[in-house]
Amino acid sequence: MSGSGISRRDFMQIVGLGGASAALAGCGNTSIESGAELVESYVQPENFVVPGVGVYYASTCTQCPSACGIMGRVREGRILKLEGNPNSAISGGKICGLGQAAVQRHYSPDRLTVPMIRKSGELKQSSWEEAMTLLTNAVAPADKAGRRVILTGPASGHEQVLLRALVEAGAATDHVVFDALSTAVAASVNRRMFGVDDPVTMIDRAGVVLSFGDDFLGAGESPVAAARQYARFRRGARRGVLVQVEPRMTLTGANADRWIVIVPGTEGVFALGLARELLQRKEAAGSVSPALAAVIEPYTQAEVSRITGVRGDHIPRIASLLWEHSPTLVLAGRYPQGHAHGSQNMAAIGMLNVILQNHGKTVMRAAELPFPQLAPTAGSFKALRDLNEAMAAGQCRSILMHGSNPVYSAPAFMGFADNLQKVPFKAAWVTELDETAMQCDLVLPLLSSLEDFGTHVASNQSDGTEISIQQPLMEKLYPQTRAFGDVVLDLLRKVKPDSYKSFPDYYAYLKSAVINAKPAYDPAAGDEEFWENALSAGVLHREASLQPLPGMQASPEMIHQPEPAGDDLQYPFRLIPAVTPNMRDGRPASLPWLQESPDPLTTVVWDSWAELHPSTARAMQIREGDVLILASAHGSVRAKAYLFPGIHPGAVGVPIGQGHESYGRFASNVGVNVLKILDPIFDRDTGELALYSTRVSIAKTGQNERITKDEGPTTLQQDRKLVATLAADQVDLTKETPFVIR
Amino acid sequence: MSLDNLTSNWSKLRVKRPQPDQYKDAPYKWGMVIDLDACTGCNACTAACYAENNLPVVGKHRFLKGQAMHWLRIERYWGEGTESTQEFPERGAQFLPMMCQQCEAAPCEIVCPVGATHHTPDGLNSQVYNRCIGSRYCSANCPYKVRYFNWFNYPESAWPSPLEQQLNPDVTVRSKGVMEKCTFCVQRLTEAKDRARTEKRTVRDGEVLTACAQACPTSAIHFGNMADSSSAVARMWKAQQVELSADRQAKDDQREIDEQQGKTDGVLRGYRVLEQLRTYPSVVYLERIRSSEV
Amino acid sequence: MSDTFEEKEVAVELRFQPKPKDIDEDIAWAQINGDVLRSLERPRPLYWVIFFGSLALFLWGVYCEIYQYNTGLGVADLENPQVWGLYIATFIFWIGMSHSGTLLSAILHIMHADWRKPIYRFAEAMTTFSLMTAGLFVLVHLGRVWQFYYVVAYPNERWTWPNFSSPLVWDATAIGSYLTTSVIFLYFGMIPDLAICRDNATGFRRTFYRALSIGWRGTDRQWSNFRVTYLTIACLLIPLAVSVHSIVATDFAVSQQPGWHTTSFPPYFVAGALYSGCAAIITLFIILRYTFRFEQYMTIPILEKLCKLTFAISMVWTYLNFIEYAAVWYGTDEFAKQSLIYRATGDYAWWWWSMNILGSVVPFSLTLKRLRTNIPVMLVVSILLNLGMWIERFMIVTPTFAHGYYPWTWTQGWWPNWVQVGIVLGSFGWFNMLFMLFCKIFPSVSMYEVKEMVYHRRLPRKNLKPLPAEG
Repeated sequence: MSGSGISRRDFMQIVGLGGASAALAGCGNTSIESGAELVESYVQPENFVVPGVGVYYASTCTQCPSACGIMGRVREGRILKLEGNPNSAISGGKICGLGQAAVQRHYSPDRLTVPMIRKSGELKQSSWEEAMTLLTNAVAPADKAGRRVILTGPASGHEQVLLRALVEAGAATDHVVFDALSTAVAASVNRRMFGVDDPVTMIDRAGVVLSFGDDFLGAGESPVAAARQYARFRRGARRGVLVQVEPRMTLTGANADRWIVIVPGTEGVFALGLARELLQRKEAAGSVSPALAAVIEPYTQAEVSRITGVRGDHIPRIASLLWEHSPTLVLAGRYPQGHAHGSQNMAAIGMLNVILQNHGKTVMRAAELPFPQLAPTAGSFKALRDLNEAMAAGQCRSILMHGSNPVYSAPAFMGFADNLQKVPFKAAWVTELDETAMQCDLVLPLLSSLEDFGTHVASNQSDGTEISIQQPLMEKLYPQTRAFGDVVLDLLRKVKPDSYKSFPDYYAYLKSAVINAKPAYDPAAGDEEFWENALSAGVLHREASLQPLPGMQASPEMIHQPEPAGDDLQYPFRLIPAVTPNMRDGRPASLPWLQESPDPLTTVVWDSWAELHPSTARAMQIREGDVLILASAHGSVRAKAYLFPGIHPGAVGVPIGQGHESYGRFASNVGVNVLKILDPIFDRDTGELALYSTRVSIAKTGQNERITKDEGPTTLQQDRKLVATLAADQVDLTKETPFVIR
Repeated sequence: MSLDNLTSNWSKLRVKRPQPDQYKDAPYKWGMVIDLDACTGCNACTAACYAENNLPVVGKHRFLKGQAMHWLRIERYWGEGTESTQEFPERGAQFLPMMCQQCEAAPCEIVCPVGATHHTPDGLNSQVYNRCIGSRYCSANCPYKVRYFNWFNYPESAWPSPLEQQLNPDVTVRSKGVMEKCTFCVQRLTEAKDRARTEKRTVRDGEVLTACAQACPTSAIHFGNMADSSSAVARMWKAQQVELSADRQAKDDQREIDEQQGKTDGVLRGYRVLEQLRTYPSVVYLERIRSSEV
Repeated sequence: MSDTFEEKEVAVELRFQPKPKDIDEDIAWAQINGDVLRSLERPRPLYWVIFFGSLALFLWGVYCEIYQYNTGLGVADLENPQVWGLYIATFIFWIGMSHSGTLLSAILHIMHADWRKPIYRFAEAMTTFSLMTAGLFVLVHLGRVWQFYYVVAYPNERWTWPNFSSPLVWDATAIGSYLTTSVIFLYFGMIPDLAICRDNATGFRRTFYRALSIGWRGTDRQWSNFRVTYLTIACLLIPLAVSVHSIVATDFAVSQQPGWHTTSFPPYFVAGALYSGCAAIITLFIILRYTFRFEQYMTIPILEKLCKLTFAISMVWTYLNFIEYAAVWYGTDEFAKQSLIYRATGDYAWWWWSMNILGSVVPFSLTLKRLRTNIPVMLVVSILLNLGMWIERFMIVTPTFAHGYYPWTWTQGWWPNWVQVGIVLGSFGWFNMLFMLFCKIFPSVSMYEVKEMVYHRRLPRKNLKPLPAEG
């Protein structure tokens, strides 16, 4: 990005100088307002650095697992703002709100700056010497009994390689990967039906996308990449049509041509009803086995309507739409997965792509990665469950945690915090003291993502394969923070002194690893040149073709739909813990830009809310702002009512991600943590937590508080032409100037 | 004090309304096209705007009072009329990114008592912070209500150290008592124009983008120089047959006639919000589309 | 013979019912002087109670303003789009109240309406002080008060001028010139009275009055110059009075916001100004009459004339108000119509209906002689009318913001908070203080004009009809 390659030494010199002046400006000195700024001239500036003009350096955003390539504007040695990296096949020069807010995490006033050790019950500031001593004892090989666990969030790239190495070297007995928003059900079903966990889906090649609650534009797996595909989907030779079927409107659903509300959990039934309709056409003959067809047969329009609450005539219309606009794409998100029969839902939906012959066109197998060990590992909930049981049984001796906040995300029924207390030694790497860190014996201060090196590999790559490089965008702000990779290497060397000897730090390891990858990308280049080019471009990209998927392997039990549960009089409402684009699993809650960014669908800020359909609210005489108590069999939360037309009338939606007890000043005591009250219901096949199966009762407290939201008293356009809508057949998009889709 | 200054600049200060081909010989006239069918409502643009323009985070209490500072806001509507007609929003939500429309006949410009807001030669509505005395008449007269007043001294609360290190040095941090609004990232435009001028050329299409246009994942926001007839934005305005200096577009008249005759296809999507108020905005929105097949 | 003569006198008296006199003709000059100068003597305790009460209110307003100045206008619960609040509304109210002083002292002077003579002095003082109070609000309302002078065309090194197409600059100019001219007019008209004070004062006060009366000796030449000058300033002042509130009205009329963009606003505002000013004059009339025992000068017939004038103006205001509604209702501007319906049915509906009742229905009490000669009733009525006029100003400003062109920014349940109310109350305290100080330092009844009025009553009537023939 910066034009000419630069050596690390020179780079560090610049950022060092800049960082020094930034540090000077930061310590004890003043705000911008009082104007006493130091004017520092560079002693040995690089020839492309002009004081007062920003230079862009490439890196990778790590605010969510998408691994978007970004570039940071750096001036006077400090990072100011992030943009997308145009070289990245994932972000394509674009960036989402979480990416922008990464600078706020980097400059957070609540950053942990020194290691903290629990002494006489309280966390006290300490030193790295003490910390490393404690850590070393924790990973010392098994002269004592007990499991030594490393718990992380989903990871990819060389960080993951090192984590695996830790286990292989015996520094840890288990590596548990936990994802609060896990899609392990989908992975399991895909693996059983198609042989791969994570088929690549291509929205931009589809004429129709039928999405069962897949919020690919909002809080899905890779929102920026999906949005770019979506832009081409809408701008193709023929404008793509989006149909969304879900119990609560997601951002993607808000953009659908047709949004269909459905009883939570009955997505599989709808899919089978649709399959039955699709199978009527001769194109679909033979796409499913007779055994499967027999399971499908009873789901007539009337039957489907009865169970799902969807109007009967939707199915034939959707079916004919799907056949007319081939190839199409059927997607399934978190909603269908979050039930005891989640696997069955997913199997039924996955079968639709086969019937529609989308495999090989819009659904394919990922291309081979040149370095498969860097491929992303998805997290699951089951892993945390198993760990929890082990901790409860006293089997764990130590646990080291990184990139995960299980004390926050684990539902109350697990008693995770209590079980964690049974582990003699608990450590966490964090940038801010979150709930999990507050329970630990040792808390280690991390470099922020803008201060660290790394490599990352995104999932669902349809445009070749890419490794995204992360590099520091400025000198580290606090001298006592360290890279996770550095500490892991130290630990590895403690356990196996001779290994990794030639790498003084993670940077050296990474550089060597990247240079070793040179033959796969640019064999003709020199080593240093290759490394600098990699840093400059921010990505290592290789063209690759997608592979076809194997044929479907599905047994009738896989798609069998159970009879829906009856009404529960004590807990009459379905709880929908909604994943919102701004808050996701709760990690962005400490970032003020995201707290202040209105939720796209409700425009609420700085708070949680309980969404009710207006008809439900009217029947219960609930007004907006009424404080409600939502109680499940395992806990209760208080939230203000918000009238939301995009939700099933029998459901109440509460966003995930707020309700932190500690996580910095911007997240603490804001909203409620709805994950706490979930019921212990699990997918039968995988053991994953059924996120959308909890039932609650709603009680009014009689109090009313105004909801903090951006919208005014009306949500209608009041006959003003503000957002006008045309029917697709009224417009000829080919007449419009070809759009620049950057 | 120069009377010449007053009399000679006065005629350039304000024309009553934009003239056709007013910017024909001008090097720059910045304009935007926002495709509402591509806008997903994700709010990436608003976050980018906060980052680029040193917008203060006001916190829950002040947001509740209506004192938020988002220059660019994403509005979400559920219907077009005055009553909710549907039980469920089956066509999704209607998102509208709304920011200062940089009106050619801006109602805010004429009423500022001290002349803190005017029209620049490159077609922007400027806001001069150090001239503003905070009478808020401009906001009172704005039909879109896209002007935001600094009700407090935000540097005291919005940027606890070291968050202030993130501030963009190219953009003023405003004190209490002044009005602010979207500037089409004028700091970027100035930098680009300066760079181009050193190289003895004009800014190329796509060389400079506003922060929102740069961030938007679906490329729904298009920004460019309308005085350059080959720029994407100029071509889009032309293709949509929207004229900057017309308060009622010929194609809208034609569409009314067509609809009366029962012809509903061949519609051009471009329109400007509240155009009938004769503000002559510099932002064209493209109507969103919903398939009628399903 | 004398019996017959007395009978005829009685017959004359019975057949020619004399009209109630605006003022008795047999008041001695010395008595006039004495009565008025007595009002300048040491005040009773009640005066101090009210004065310090007003001072306390003013200081509370100052505290609110200091808080607002230091922290920012956000403490007044102003927001986007409710950017103006009570400050502009009360500003217009105070400007409006100032108009009747000019009406009485200048317009009625030119029309030779003698009945104005005992009351125009305090009315003119009311004008001056209302303008000063309104000036306060200009400062209170600004975001950067310390740079208010940018509005004035003063020489500066940046060669910048204010924006002359902005109604606020017109406001500054008009109000500035109106205030200046009013102060000059008030002072100038007081010179003969100040001379009387000088002649009757001792010690420090004598020096004070001597300085102010600039050597007035009451010679014919001085009187002749005085008359001409007084008339000239009056003629200058009258167009100013009409134009000032018309210009304040253009603050709204020139903008295109729904509910404001009406060409009837300038006369509507001027009518409203005269209306509230006259109501305020009635209030002050009653208070001064009672406090200083000015019953001989501020007579009931004069009060009646004042009430009739007020009624006439109230009908003009009612007409213009109604015309505004009718024009919107029968017009094609949908936005304006929605704005009107919102005023009648939305958050502020109670206030709108109160305004209309207080402004259009209550003045009918002024048509009933029994009511308009009843002092306590008139006190209450005049305050109610002024309340109605204040509400009118509030109803002009706030609902347009609450329910304008852009539905996303509509507000619901926005009300001014304690800071705004505190400053408004403080302004009333300020006005009160100034007026009370004025009444104790300067004669609040114009002595020389009252003497003129009494003199004219003593002159034989020129158009007396002859007695009927006997028999």
